[in-house]
Amino acid sequence: MTVPALEADALGKRFGRRSWALRDCSFRLPAGRVCAVVGPNGAGKSTLLALAAGLLAPTEGTVRVLGAHPAAARSRVGFVDQDKPLYPQLTVAETLRMGADLNPGHWDADTARRVVAGGDLDPDRRIRALSGGQRTRVALALALGKRPELLLLDEPMADLDPLARHELMGLLMGEAAAHGTTVVMSSHVVAELEDSCDHLLLVGGGKIRLSGDIDDLLAAHTRVTAPAGADLAAHEVVESRTTGRQLSAVIRPSGPLPDDWRTTTPSLEDLVLSYLRNPAAPALTPAPETLEAAV
Amino acid sequence: MTAALTTPAAPAARTAGVPRQWRWLVRLHRPALIGGGTLVLLTAAALVWLGGPLTDASAAAWKAYNACGFTPRCSYDQESILLYKDVYNWTTIAVLAVPFLVAAWAGGALVGRETESGTARLAWTQGVSPARWLASRLVAPAVLTVAVTGLLAALHHWAWAAGRDRIDTATSWHDMDTFHANGTIPMGLALAGLAAGALAGLLLRRAMAALAAAAATVGVLWAAVHTAVPYLWPSVTRVSGLAEGPLGRGLLVSEGVLTPGGRAEAPCVSSSMHSCRDTLADMGATAFYRDAHPASHYWPLQLVATGILLAVAGLLTYAAFRVLRRTTGTARG
Repeated sequence: MTVPALEADALGKRFGRRSWALRDCSFRLPAGRVCAVVGPNGAGKSTLLALAAGLLAPTEGTVRVLGAHPAAARSRVGFVDQDKPLYPQLTVAETLRMGADLNPGHWDADTARRVVAGGDLDPDRRIRALSGGQRTRVALALALGKRPELLLLDEPMADLDPLARHELMGLLMGEAAAHGTTVVMSSHVVAELEDSCDHLLLVGGGKIRLSGDIDDLLAAHTRVTAPAGADLAAHEVVESRTTGRQLSAVIRPSGPLPDDWRTTTPSLEDLVLSYLRNPAAPALTPAPETLEAAV
Repeated sequence: MTAALTTPAAPAARTAGVPRQWRWLVRLHRPALIGGGTLVLLTAAALVWLGGPLTDASAAAWKAYNACGFTPRCSYDQESILLYKDVYNWTTIAVLAVPFLVAAWAGGALVGRETESGTARLAWTQGVSPARWLASRLVAPAVLTVAVTGLLAALHHWAWAAGRDRIDTATSWHDMDTFHANGTIPMGLALAGLAAGALAGLLLRRAMAALAAAAATVGVLWAAVHTAVPYLWPSVTRVSGLAEGPLGRGLLVSEGVLTPGGRAEAPCVSSSMHSCRDTLADMGATAFYRDAHPASHYWPLQLVATGILLAVAGLLTYAAFRVLRRTTGTARG
C-alpha cells in the first residue's frame, strides 16, 4: 500500500475567535491522482491548500502530506498561491535563478524554462511588467521546477485566456504524468477541471461534501425523473424538485429503482451543483478503508 | 543570461542555506541598500569634514573673536562658526535618524511588503522554512545595522571631541542629542527597531501599517530611554552652602535643599538675596544639594541603556519567531 499524498483527519482552521474557515474535514487522497478541489468562493478551498502547504497551522485535527508533517515535506511539495505572488523587481530569468538557489539539489531548470518559454516571455522582462497570465506561467514554472511529488494549485487558471489555459493545463498534465506527480487544484469553475481530474473534493461551508474518485462518485448517484409524489425515502436524496406532475431528483440509490422511473447518470457539474444548492444534503466521503481498497 | 539557469549540483542540502538567501536578500533590497549606503556615506563624509576642516576654521574664528576683547572694530570669520554649528546639528540629526530609518525599512520593505503581497509564502514553499526565512531577514540586516550605527556614532564622537575645548559654543557631553549620538544608544535603538519592524510586519501583514508601527515603537523606546537615562547609574551628590546655590556640573538628576526633615524642593537659588534667605530660614534649610552625573559616567550610562535596548530587541525577535511559529506551525526545521 502506498502512502497517501494528502490525508486530513478532523482538520479544522479557525480565523479570529469564532469564524471557522474549515471544520472537521477528513479525507484521503491517494498518490498519483489529479484532484479537483471544488466549491464556491469562501468555501475554505484556499485554507485547505494553505494548511497542506504548511503555510498555516491547523486549529484542530491533523493534515499529513506524503506521509509527513507539512513542515517536513516542504521540499517535496509545490504550491501556487491564488494571487501568484512574485517579486515584482526581479526579471523572469532572475526569478527562475532564485528558484534554483532556494531549491538546491532538486531543481529542474529545463522544466522551469520550458514552462516559461511556452509563453513567449522575454527572460529579461521584469515581473511587474507581466500580464496576469504571464505571471501565472512564471509561478507555475517555479512550482514545477522544484520537481514536487505533490503540487498544490490554488485557482491556477483563473486569469488565463482559454487558449493559454488549455496549453498550460496540457503542460501541467504532461509533467504530472511523466513524473507521477499528484496534483491538487482548486477552482470554482467545475467545467475547467472535468477533463483533467480523476478525483474530486467538494468543499462547501467549511466542510467536505464529496470526496472520492470521480467515476465512483458519478456511479453512486442517479438523476431520476419520476411521477410527482413518488417515494424517495428509501434512498439518500441530494436534491429533489417537483414541477407540475413530475418529480426530478438526484439521489444515491440504496437499492433497485422502480421501472417507471427514468434514470440517467448526472454530469460532474450537475452533481456538484446539486450538492451546492442543498447544503443539508448528506455528505459522501468514503471511509478510509473503502478508499484504500480502491487504490 | 539564460545560461546561468542550469541546475547547481548541490544535492546535499535539502533546504536553502541562509547565506544563499542573503544573495537574494541583497538583490531584492538593492535600491534600499544603494539609497541607505549613500546616506550613510554622505553623513560619514560630513562628520569627517566637521571634525577636521570645519572644527579648525571655527576654532580659529573663536580665537580671533576672543582676541578682539572690546575693540570697536574687529573682524573674525563668523561664517565658519555658523557653518560648524549647522553641520554639527544636521549630522547629529542624521545619526539619530538611523534607528527610525532602519525600523521603517524593516517594517515596510523587509517583512511587511512580503507578508502583504504573499511573497513570504512563496519563499516558504520554495524550500525555505519560515524560521530560516525570518533568520535570513534579521541576521544580515542586524550586522549591517551594527556596523553603520557604530561607524556613525564613532565618527560623531570623534568630531564632537575635536571641537570640545576649542569651540566656545560646542555642546557639552550631556546635551541630550549629543549624549545619544555620541554613544551606543543609536545601535541599541536601531536593533530594537529592526526587530520591531519584523514583528509588526508579521502581525499586521500590511507594509505601511508595519512601517508606521515600527517607527512609532522606536519613538516610544527613545522617549523611554531619554527619561530613564539619568537613573541608570548611581549619581553623585554635591552639597553646597546656602550662599553658593546648588553646584556641580554634568547630567542633572535632581537638586534642592537639605532640611532637618529631609530633602525638599528649592524655593530659590541663593541666600544672597534677602527674600530667599528668609524663605530658606523658614524651611530650616541647611544646604543646597545637586545630584548629577560627572563626565566619567557617560559610558556606564550609555552601556546600561544600550543593554536594556538590546534586551528589548531580543524580546521582540523572540516574539517574531513565536508569531511565525504560531501562524505556520512549522518554525522548527
